[in-house]
Amino acid sequence: MAETAVRRAPSVGTRVKKALAPLPWIGPAVLLIGLVVLWPVVVMVWSSFQRIRRTGIVVGPNGTDNYTKLFDEPDFVAVLWNTVVWVLVVVAVTLVLSLFLAQLFNQHFPGRRFARWAMIVPWAASVFMTAVVFKWMLHETHGVINTLMVDLHLMDAGKDWLGKPSTAMPWMMAVAVFVSLPFTTYTLLAGLQTVPGEVYEAARIDGASTWRTYLSITLPLLKPAILVAVVINLINVFNSFPIIWAMTNGGPGYETATTTVFMYQLKASDIGESAAMSVANFAMIIILVAFFLVVSRGNKETDR
Amino acid sequence: MKRHQMALAATGLSAALLLSACGGSDDDGDDSKGATPGASAPAGAPKDGTIKLVVADYGSGDGSMQKYWNGVISSFNAKYPGIKVNLQVINWDDIDKQVATMVQNNEMPDLLQTGGYADKVVDDLLYPVDDIMSPATKADFVESFTPAATVKGKQYGIPFTSSTRQLIYNTDLFTKAGITEPPKTWDDLKAAATKLKSAGVATPFGLPLGKEEAQGEFMNWALGNGGGYQTNGKYTVNSPANVEALNWVNDNLVKTGLTESNPGTKNRKDVYTDFYGGSVGMVNSNPTMIATLKKDYPNLKYATAAIPGKTGPLTETLGVCDWMMAFKKNGHKDQIKAFVDHAFSTDQQIKFQEQYSFPPVTKSVMAKMTANPSNAGLKPYIDLLPNAKFYPLNDVAWDVLSPKIKEQLGSAVSGKSPKDVLDQLQKEAESAVAQQKS
Repeated sequence: MAETAVRRAPSVGTRVKKALAPLPWIGPAVLLIGLVVLWPVVVMVWSSFQRIRRTGIVVGPNGTDNYTKLFDEPDFVAVLWNTVVWVLVVVAVTLVLSLFLAQLFNQHFPGRRFARWAMIVPWAASVFMTAVVFKWMLHETHGVINTLMVDLHLMDAGKDWLGKPSTAMPWMMAVAVFVSLPFTTYTLLAGLQTVPGEVYEAARIDGASTWRTYLSITLPLLKPAILVAVVINLINVFNSFPIIWAMTNGGPGYETATTTVFMYQLKASDIGESAAMSVANFAMIIILVAFFLVVSRGNKETDR
Repeated sequence: MKRHQMALAATGLSAALLLSACGGSDDDGDDSKGATPGASAPAGAPKDGTIKLVVADYGSGDGSMQKYWNGVISSFNAKYPGIKVNLQVINWDDIDKQVATMVQNNEMPDLLQTGGYADKVVDDLLYPVDDIMSPATKADFVESFTPAATVKGKQYGIPFTSSTRQLIYNTDLFTKAGITEPPKTWDDLKAAATKLKSAGVATPFGLPLGKEEAQGEFMNWALGNGGGYQTNGKYTVNSPANVEALNWVNDNLVKTGLTESNPGTKNRKDVYTDFYGGSVGMVNSNPTMIATLKKDYPNLKYATAAIPGKTGPLTETLGVCDWMMAFKKNGHKDQIKAFVDHAFSTDQQIKFQEQYSFPPVTKSVMAKMTANPSNAGLKPYIDLLPNAKFYPLNDVAWDVLSPKIKEQLGSAVSGKSPKDVLDQLQKEAESAVAQQKS
């Protein structure tokens, strides 16, 4: 503040020039974001207020009818509930397991490099492919999981895991956790590596137990990394479509569908209603991101 | 806002790609100057020009459809050298989306062959069939298709290929279970399935009520009880006959474990594959199964019979039909007429139906195919055609209802009450009808 007060304020012209100076470099990117990200959002919101034929022809404005129809769907509440359970369980389990894994990978042990590389595999493989592989591993008569369990005399006959919501949901959540682990683990591992060795040394000298050290030193210092991991996972898991689509198609009925899957299903019969569901999904994501911004700002202030 | 504004920016982009892909082929070609001099067209011949033909690919992407249509076009050009036909073959999974894009961009084809036509009638895009087909050609079609092809008294859809349903059963498994003849009634079917189960058959009766074709499998059962989707042009999805049929299936086949597990989530494709593998006793089949069995599973012993109904075998079974339609926009009525008359001539049609083993749509092809002993497996399906019952394909509301049935019907055998599921579908039907009117 003191410095700028001494200097003469630049004229309006120079300021505008200065502000526009980076435009040639960032212009194409801004244009691309506008075209690829913002314009579809505009069209999506606009579509949600139109009556659109299945052929794609727009008949005309439809007021809020698409939204009324969506909220009146008899399965809407159940689908929302599925989504909440899906997001909470997958993110929570992923985070807990990743904390363990990150701690493990932070230790020195023979073969660590190999183990760290192996961890990337579920991340590198296409999610859809992983889901299809799991679907076949769970096949009632030919699937490797069923045949193994039958051979080990854990079950008398193969089970149709994906045919019932009560068993299909846990299996799909397991796959979602499986594909979310690598990113989360690496984020937390990076966080762990920023914790300086001296603080652990000080704790040891003070005679803190391992558990106490973890709770009072590691976790608080890991908070920024955990925050990033949680928020990115919330968004990813909320938007997760391929796992459910490949494994159950959201069925039977809509009993294993989340709002993202439901939005796709609605498109087959009513494009406008499907757009309304997209807008609702978008709103939920915006709320998540806003939550992230608020929490991370709070975090910065306590840091300083 | 423009009335015919594009729905999504993404479709606009794909439209742009599509346009550039078809660039150069969309010349209207109304000028007769380009006609080859010396080519003697038949008397009263249509003007020369170019028509655009868009067709679905029924093959496995092996180019056989392209070859078939090229054959039709070259024999057509031998008669009408002045009419150029631009052919575009589109994969079955993509054709509806691509055609929607063409419609949105006002780049209509002249002739289109795909799964449905009714939505285009609502938007007044099509020629009535009488305008683009000679009476002789029209008279050759099997009459049972006409109601499904007609909207408000005018026929718009031209049946192109068809399919009917039969019960197919594994005769080795039947012998093993001591069953001597195929079931005729629902009670027979339950008894046979029970015997198959005691003989150790994994899936006595295959019941694909999953998303792929729940609307078809359910109709087999509804027809067996005198039900169906419509009564006198009004939707009656939750009619007492339909509810009774679905309750019967749920109580007697599903709850007793006589089907595959969780039939509400199983697709036709999976159940058929299990039938080929020999673990399914019986299933309601379509004629492509016969072709597959003949080609890939020659050792599996099977027989077909009419689908059992509540009190006796079905005399009217579900028929499925794909359509050809002609678009008005380019005004090529005469050229289209010449091509349609040629494409639906006996010689051209029989090549297609025999190659893909589909039941025919014209009486002359039907007579020729049933007379040929190599079509013996297909004959029972063909014989059902004159009495086939179709989905309400001439109603646009059906296009909205059909995906809802596919998604929701499985719930009726997965714990929800069949009546509740059908009540909900009836509501969907009524709201779809109301939307079409508003």
